[in-house]
Amino acid sequence: MTIFSTRRLAVAAALSTALLAASACSGGGENKGGETASNELTVMAPLFGTAPDPNGELQQAVEKLIGKKLQITWVPNAQYGDKSNVTLASDKIPDLMVANEKSPSFVKAAEAGAFWDLTGKLDKYQNLKPANEQTAKNTQTNGKTYGIYRVRPLLRSGIVIRKDWLAKLGLKEPQSVEDLYTIAKAFAEKDPDGNGKKDTYGLIIPKWPGNYASASPYDVIETWFGAPNGWGERDGKLVPGFDTPEFLAANQWLRKWVSEGLVNPDFATLDSANWNDPFVQGKGGMIIDVNVRATQLLDLFKEKNPKDFDKVTLVGNLKGPDGEKHSYPFTGYNMVIAISKQHVRTEEQLDQVLQTLDKLESKEGSILLTNGIEGRNFKADGKYAVPINQDDAKVKAIQNDVDKAFIQLGTRASVGLGTYALRPNDEASRKMREKFDVLMNEDLKTAVFNPALSIIAPTSVAKGQTLDTIIPDARIKYLSGAITEDQLKAQIKRWYDSGGTDIAKEVNDLAAKAGG
Amino acid sequence: MATDLVPEVVQPAADSSQPASAPRRKRRTKTLGRDLWRYRWLYLLLLPGLVYFALFKYLPMYGLTIAFKDYVPFLGYSGSEWVGLKHFQELFTGPDFGRLMFNTLLLAVLTVVFVFPAPIVVALLLNELRVNVLKRSVQSLVYIPHFLSWTIVASLTYLLFSVDFGVIANWIHGLVGGQKTDYVAQADWFRPLIVLQLLWKQTGWGTIIYLAALAGVDSQLYEAARVDGAGRWRQFWHITLPAIRPTIVVMAILTSGHLMDSGFEQIWLMTTSLNRDVADVFDTFVYYIGITQGSFSYATAVGLFKGVIGVVLIFGSNLLAKRMGQRGLF
Repeated sequence: MTIFSTRRLAVAAALSTALLAASACSGGGENKGGETASNELTVMAPLFGTAPDPNGELQQAVEKLIGKKLQITWVPNAQYGDKSNVTLASDKIPDLMVANEKSPSFVKAAEAGAFWDLTGKLDKYQNLKPANEQTAKNTQTNGKTYGIYRVRPLLRSGIVIRKDWLAKLGLKEPQSVEDLYTIAKAFAEKDPDGNGKKDTYGLIIPKWPGNYASASPYDVIETWFGAPNGWGERDGKLVPGFDTPEFLAANQWLRKWVSEGLVNPDFATLDSANWNDPFVQGKGGMIIDVNVRATQLLDLFKEKNPKDFDKVTLVGNLKGPDGEKHSYPFTGYNMVIAISKQHVRTEEQLDQVLQTLDKLESKEGSILLTNGIEGRNFKADGKYAVPINQDDAKVKAIQNDVDKAFIQLGTRASVGLGTYALRPNDEASRKMREKFDVLMNEDLKTAVFNPALSIIAPTSVAKGQTLDTIIPDARIKYLSGAITEDQLKAQIKRWYDSGGTDIAKEVNDLAAKAGG
Repeated sequence: MATDLVPEVVQPAADSSQPASAPRRKRRTKTLGRDLWRYRWLYLLLLPGLVYFALFKYLPMYGLTIAFKDYVPFLGYSGSEWVGLKHFQELFTGPDFGRLMFNTLLLAVLTVVFVFPAPIVVALLLNELRVNVLKRSVQSLVYIPHFLSWTIVASLTYLLFSVDFGVIANWIHGLVGGQKTDYVAQADWFRPLIVLQLLWKQTGWGTIIYLAALAGVDSQLYEAARVDGAGRWRQFWHITLPAIRPTIVVMAILTSGHLMDSGFEQIWLMTTSLNRDVADVFDTFVYYIGITQGSFSYATAVGLFKGVIGVVLIFGSNLLAKRMGQRGLF
């Protein structure tokens, strides 16, 4: 070890490092020109299967329609949030980015000027101007619109119930929360599957990936009990929903369910990807979730046994203990398409991009994104699209590109603005689909909207990491019996003490400003 | 060429008794240049290693500066505002610090107590096996879990311990009776499960290095000991154990540097709403605030703090080893 003295070694190391740094600096060349922005658009969007071929038939058709080349980064949906944050931290923000406009990192980036403020700019584009005022308001961030929202039905909550179990036990579809309890109790104790064993439960709840007020079954039930959806007005002030007696009442009620064995025992750990399994296996008889789960379950039963085509029924929101009905609405959209300023620098360039987007979201574009290429993978039949040529591998690729990827770029299509609905497989599915709209319109009359949805409190951006998990964790602990009601209340107080007090104040101030 | 590589005379180290004067410094520079030239091929061989460390280990450290800034990606490294020690202050005074530190340290202690000695014990047991076929096959079998990813280990744990359909959970329930225990979700069972998983996955793999050390023990020592009338136990105590002691010390020092690494994947996969209070460690916290929440500066500050503790631990244990009369790592 004495061949080279340490000092000499250090000098040698320093020399070679310096050399290297010099070469590294000269390495990064300038290849980002303003040129690319005009005839090519970079896009980032979620993906639900295999990524489309950039030279595939569908992408070419889309490019032909809008007159621009697309360079799309498809990111698997499960990692979309993480990948978005990492992308926002890089110097390669795509021109068009499907983004969650409420996530702290997006808000920070947008407020620093990384994205175009589109407030008031969308009205002159036929296909981009907001179709629904409530939704448009929901997508705002403290009064500013940072993107074009991807529309979704405004109310999708419902209860999926085993129809044959109801019939077997002589029960009617529930109208109120009391009815629901009766059904759950019967499902758990009166042997609805008739195997002579007490091996069923009423309600199936998975480990919920979101936090408080994220459309979880808990949030829906609390709303039925009269708790605010997210934030609500109490004594002239906005308070978080979990700081209300209704929140406590709902969870006391649900805790009883858990202790009586009416809920799946692994509700804290069941992977939400396997949510359907206990239902299809006949272990549980109810799921509180979005209505499309009903058609999913219909199909799953039929797949298992073609005779089981009518085992599922869908019920809308329920009356609470006060006899009033409070329905849980959705936000009416799912993420927005934001335009980054990195390459789109001037107002003219922005106008160009918006014109392109306008073409993409036109009737013609929406059909491409939602249904595919007419005559290639589907044919129109009245208001329905009927899949054709599905044995052809090339056509299958188009269908995959549509269903798993390009549909994510549509901002209007999913509620059927100008596009064809997929023709349901059979009578039961068709009836179920039709029921969606009936239930939605009925429940919208009693929908409890979140008045603070468009408000982002600065403290929640800064301290979200600590605060966000306090309430949902405490709720699960309380329901499972791990903590008492006093401890639950202590956790709510902990939320206030760790920064919640500031958030509540900011939300009230910002709401007053927005409303006034 | 060949003579270049063999030093003719070992250069004496600089005589420190003489005061450093200008001519002397000049001479030294000259010597250095000559030496550099004389051993140029050796230095050339060293270069790729240095380049690697500079490029992938030291250059990225520039990014650590954001721990002292309010980093907004859009504004870039240079555009973001300096905030000094704000993020560290936030960390040390924040509501999470105590819990994170406690959870991380407790897991580290459990690892040292249960997981670290396990490979040594297994290696010693394997070493005593005289049937070679059995020894080899057992050795190969215990390696296998190492090659499974944490995702699979976590799924297996879930399948075995789930309250609804877990095989082991149901079996224990059958034996003990009473209320069913939700091992996967409950906070009390989090740490035992983590230690169990670590034992299952890493013990076999960890034996490799000890088995290699054991293979290097001179068999003449055992023969001599047997002649002197030493039994199996005596041989183990006076020959085997002293022979692998340096290996154990080196492994202990290396492990100490990783004490603060709780294994992100494993912890993250095993976290549920019910056990988050005991499951949150620095590694998962950095992920939540950095990647999920996008608070890059704060996350970097937490990571940097963790790194500093790791360095202190390595130097500390190295010092300790030397004090106790063992050869340290450096």
